[in-house]
Formats: sequence, C-alpha cells, structure tokens
Amino acid sequence: MNAWVGVILRVDLAAKTIEREPLNMKDAHDFVGARGLATKYFCDEVDPNVEPLSPQNKLIYMTGPLTGTGAASGGRFEVVAKAPLTGTIGAANAGGYFGPELKYAGYDGIIFENASDKPVYLYINDDVVELRDAWGLWGKSVYETTDLLIAECGESFKVSCIGPTGENGCLFSGVLNDKHRAAGRGGMGAVMGSKKLKAVAVRGTGSVNVARPVEFMDALVDARQKLKEHPVGGTGLAVFGTQVLVNIINESGALPTHNWRDGGYFPEADATGGESLADNYLVKNKGCFGCSIDCARVTRVPDGPFKSEGEGPEYEAGWSYGANCGVSDLAAICKASFLCNEYGMDPITLGATIACAMELSEMGAIPESDVGFKLRFGDPHAIVNLTEMVGKNEGFGKTLALGSYRMAEMYGHPELSMSVKKQEMPAYDGRAVQGMALEYATSNRGGCHVRGYMTSPEILGVPIKVDPLVTEGKASLLKLFQDLTALIDSLGVCLFTTFGLGLPELAAQYKHAVGTDETDEEILLKGERIWNIEKHFNIAAGVEKDTLPPRLLREALPSGPAAGKVAELHAMLGEYYELRGWDADGVPTDLKNKELGLANEA
Amino acid sequence: MKLKFFATYRTIANCMEREISAPGDVWSLLQALAEEYGAQMRAKLFTPDGGDIGMDAIILVNGMNVAHLKGKSTELSEGDTVAIFPMVAGG
Repeated sequence: MNAWVGVILRVDLAAKTIEREPLNMKDAHDFVGARGLATKYFCDEVDPNVEPLSPQNKLIYMTGPLTGTGAASGGRFEVVAKAPLTGTIGAANAGGYFGPELKYAGYDGIIFENASDKPVYLYINDDVVELRDAWGLWGKSVYETTDLLIAECGESFKVSCIGPTGENGCLFSGVLNDKHRAAGRGGMGAVMGSKKLKAVAVRGTGSVNVARPVEFMDALVDARQKLKEHPVGGTGLAVFGTQVLVNIINESGALPTHNWRDGGYFPEADATGGESLADNYLVKNKGCFGCSIDCARVTRVPDGPFKSEGEGPEYEAGWSYGANCGVSDLAAICKASFLCNEYGMDPITLGATIACAMELSEMGAIPESDVGFKLRFGDPHAIVNLTEMVGKNEGFGKTLALGSYRMAEMYGHPELSMSVKKQEMPAYDGRAVQGMALEYATSNRGGCHVRGYMTSPEILGVPIKVDPLVTEGKASLLKLFQDLTALIDSLGVCLFTTFGLGLPELAAQYKHAVGTDETDEEILLKGERIWNIEKHFNIAAGVEKDTLPPRLLREALPSGPAAGKVAELHAMLGEYYELRGWDADGVPTDLKNKELGLANEA
Repeated sequence: MKLKFFATYRTIANCMEREISAPGDVWSLLQALAEEYGAQMRAKLFTPDGGDIGMDAIILVNGMNVAHLKGKSTELSEGDTVAIFPMVAGG
C-alpha cells in the first residue's frame, strides 16, 4: 500500500480490547490524512453534542500520507477530539518523531474509545500492542513520564503523553510528544486524561512505501532545495527561531499589549525577541523528523531567580507571557514556557488567561484574596508562580485552568476575555492586521493563527505583499490560505514548508507518494472539503457564531500605523461567506455540499 | 531620524539603533547603508541586479512597509523611524 500502512488501531479503554481494522481508503483519498481523515472518522462516529470530557468522546491520533516518507518536513500527525475549551471540533497538530514511529510500527492511526477505570498507557512494539498499567506514571510531568517510559520500554521508543494538567482536566492541557512537541490547543490533553490514558509509547521497525519512488525522490529533492534557498526556510528560522517575529510585529504596531488593552506596541519588546534569546539563552537549534528548517530552540537560563532549561519559547508563548502580560524579563518568559511543556499545557491560552486576570485584578474585579497576592501587569514572578499553580492544580491556578473566558465570566466581565469561541487569540492584533481579524473570527477551532496565517502576506510579504490595514481582497486570500493549511496539516508536513514551497511542490510529493494523477486544483479542493466538514461539525454542535471580542470591534488602537482602527470584520465576513458558498449565517449551501461530496454531513 | 536594525541586519551592522540625518528617500538610505557596511549588506538589501529592494529586506517607515507606501521612493523626514528586517517568520 502506497504512503499508507493500511491499518488503524481501535482501542476500547473500558473493555480493554484492541482491534486492527483496515484504513478506510475512500476517506483517505477524499480527506487526505491526519487532520482531515481523523475529523472524518470522528464525525462519522461521534455525536456532535457529546460532552467533551465524557467517555463517549473519542480521541484519535492520525498520521498523514507523507508522514515518515522522507517528504520535506514530513514528520507530523494530528490529535482529534471534541475540544473541551471550545466545544468545536478539536484538532491539534504536532511534529517531533512520534508520528513516523507510529507508522513504522504498522499503524496509520489510533482511535481511542470510552474510558479506562484506572490509569493506563498504550504500548506498541511493532505487532505487540498492549494496554499497560500506568499508576506509576499518574501525576508525573511530561518529562518524567517520557523518561520513565523510555527506561521501561527501551531507548528506541517514542512517547506521546499528558502531564498532570491533562489528568486534572485543565481545559487547555495538551498532548506532548518527544518531551517538547505539542498537540497543544483546545484541551486534547484533558480528553486523554478523562479517559485515564496517560501515554502512548511506540517503537516501529517497518517502513513506508511510496507509489512512484523515482518521481517522489525528484519531488522531494526539489522541495528540499527550494526550502534551503528560501531566506526563511533556509536560514532565518534556524538562526533566530520563531521568537524573531516579536520585533517586526511590534514595529508594525500589531503586538497586543496588556491583554490587548494598550495598543500594538510594547516598548520593551526587543528584550524579549529572538535576537535577545539567541544572544543570552540559546544553546543550539534542532529540528523534527525529516526537517531541514531546524526552528526549535534548546535554551537555558543559567542562573538567577528563573534558572531553568528546556525548549522554546516559541513566538506565541513569548508574546502571551511577554508583551501581553507586560513582562520584559526574558528569563521569566523562558521559565514559564518551559513549565507549560513540563506540566503539559498550552502557553498561548495560559499566558493570555494570566493577562486577562491581570487586567481584572487591576480594575478590582478579582479580589487579591482570590489570587493570593497583588496581581499586576509587568510582574515576572507572577507569570512563573501562576503557571506553577495551574500545573499543580493549586489555589487560583484552578480558576486559571478554565481559560480566560470562563474565568472572566465568573468575575462578571466575559468581554475582557480575548478569545474567539472561548479559545484565546494569539499574537497578532487584528486591528492592525485586518486579515488576521477575519481569520480569528472564522477559525474552526476558535482563536488561532495556524488556520490560514494571514500574517505571512500581510506583514512578512510571503508569498505576496498585502497591505495589512485594508480589508479588500482579504476574504479570498484567507479562503485560499485556510484550504491550503487544512491540506498541509492533513498531508503530515509542517506549515513552515510554505516558506519556500507552494501548492505545486506539496502536491507533487503527495501525488507521487500515493500514486494519483489528480490536478493541483483537485488536491486543493480536498483542503476545502476538510474545512467544510469541520464547519458542519461545529454547526451541529451549536458552536457560537463567527465574531470577535468587543474590544477588537469597538476600541480603536491608540497609536502606531493602525491608530484609530478597529477590526473591520463586517466589511469582510459577508464576502467571505459568499466565496465559501455559504449562506449569510455561515452555513454551507446545498450546492456547496454537493460540490464537495458532503451532502450526508449537512 | 531613527534607524533600527533587526535580526541578521543587526549582526551585519553590529548596531541595534542609531540616529541619522534623514536622506531624501528610502533608496538613498539603502545605498548609503550598502556603502557603509559593504558587500554583505548590499547583497541582502538589493535584488541581484541592484535595481530594487531585495526579497530579504523588509523596510518599515513608521511601522508601515514601504511596499504599501511609495516603495524605494518613499520620502524620509526628520522624526521618522525606519526599521530594517530580513524576511522572518514564526508562529
């Protein structure tokens, strides 16, 4: 079988049964793999109104057709469930080495059903697949769990697991693999924890075939060469990492500060940027499976109150704990970010939730007695201490573990949660980058930057330069970017390949791997199909309409190039729905459903 | 006016920011920088034929990309801030 192994594992955690079933090849064809294919399985099998932390929710690991093939940056996989943070379809993507290893063991994906009555982990050693006792791992951090499982199973095993926050139901806990790579957003870790599933440890000695090896190799070499020659994919990300974005977003007036209250410019931003990280704390850079970009940072704070070591921070985490909390101490930002990996949670949501708590505290809505200390913007110790409290499920950490929306609602100010569909928006102010505003509002998993990444054309000028302050043309570009990123996530390759590769290069690798002669347009249409099936799930689940926090719609930026601007969502949303073939309420029309073969999903 | 260097431009110039007298426009500024800092700076700032701003140069004037102003002809005045970045990315 080409590009696929052809086998799915179905694990009933209540009955403790493990079955092998053939991969549904029609769905693999229509929904590509990883994000798309797992979503198709999920939608076919799970009631959209399922309670996310109930046994009836399912948790699906799925690789893509290019995962583990040697395709450029092709080491990724997806974790899919109904998301407890948002109530939307939850799909979180991760790199590292786990995905390819799963495929080499002989499995394209795993479907976890029901819940265990005691902690377990799934052991996979090629044909040997067992549910094993995990009492000794329960309560352990991501790092400890990974080390213990490798000690128990063997050095060649790859581990995907949850930390204590997943066990405790933190609504933004993630599933982490290879210690530092995260399927981070939406609370996939809490779903896994609700099933008493601590980890998956896998070792595989097989391989993955491709349909047309010579042509595939040519496509692969071409793609790798183009990535190498691109200023970003070749050297930019390797030297400075993703945190290098801090300064350009700040200078563009689009770096949200103080819970998005005080505009898009943080005067101390440079101290928190990728240049400062490289100068002060970078040990080395590293990469994921099959990747030449090597964007990951191995970092160490050698001394001082925030002495620590780990990987990161990535740009979004650096912002959420940095400018958004008014913190300019990069050592504290590093430590808080490391703690998120250790405890297994999403730093974007947690940093943004702390920022929201800081604003609520400063205005007197959260009493000091609730937090346990005087909480103010700019306090580096606060971001570290509160992160520890969430990690340990202690004190005010239990409130923060709900995410900013539920916390702000508890204190009477849900409007101060800078979230969309209850998931916190990341590090680009939609008032200064209008396409990002539309992207946040229409994202199928709530506030998110990787479901389109309009920052690329609007700020970075890749692949074309588009004025960030105008609304014209944004709807059509966003639709294209959403469909393309859905396709890329589903192929099993990294979104950063778009800094060097376009649809032709990605499609060429796919075509020769699976052995199809579809056109590039037909392949991109699969991305649109994936976007639409996610939308169908959300509509059936009763997810709220596409909009933005009132602050973005009503409070103009005070200074910078976007001074006086609000997010002009109304100027883009109608056109976006029309281009998508959806009605005025954002519901896919019968015509569109028929075109995409989704009539049964409607 | 204020001139700010970031990422690899900061490395090449060995400078974070400095005050300079405003040249007439962006093109004059870039030519002066290439003259001052040599071949490495020139190679990054300009297209291979030297006729335009290169792919690996993002030039912001008061936070706005010159691509959305008047390109290399964008005028500069005292009080302006020019920020120079290579092509970067993140997320």
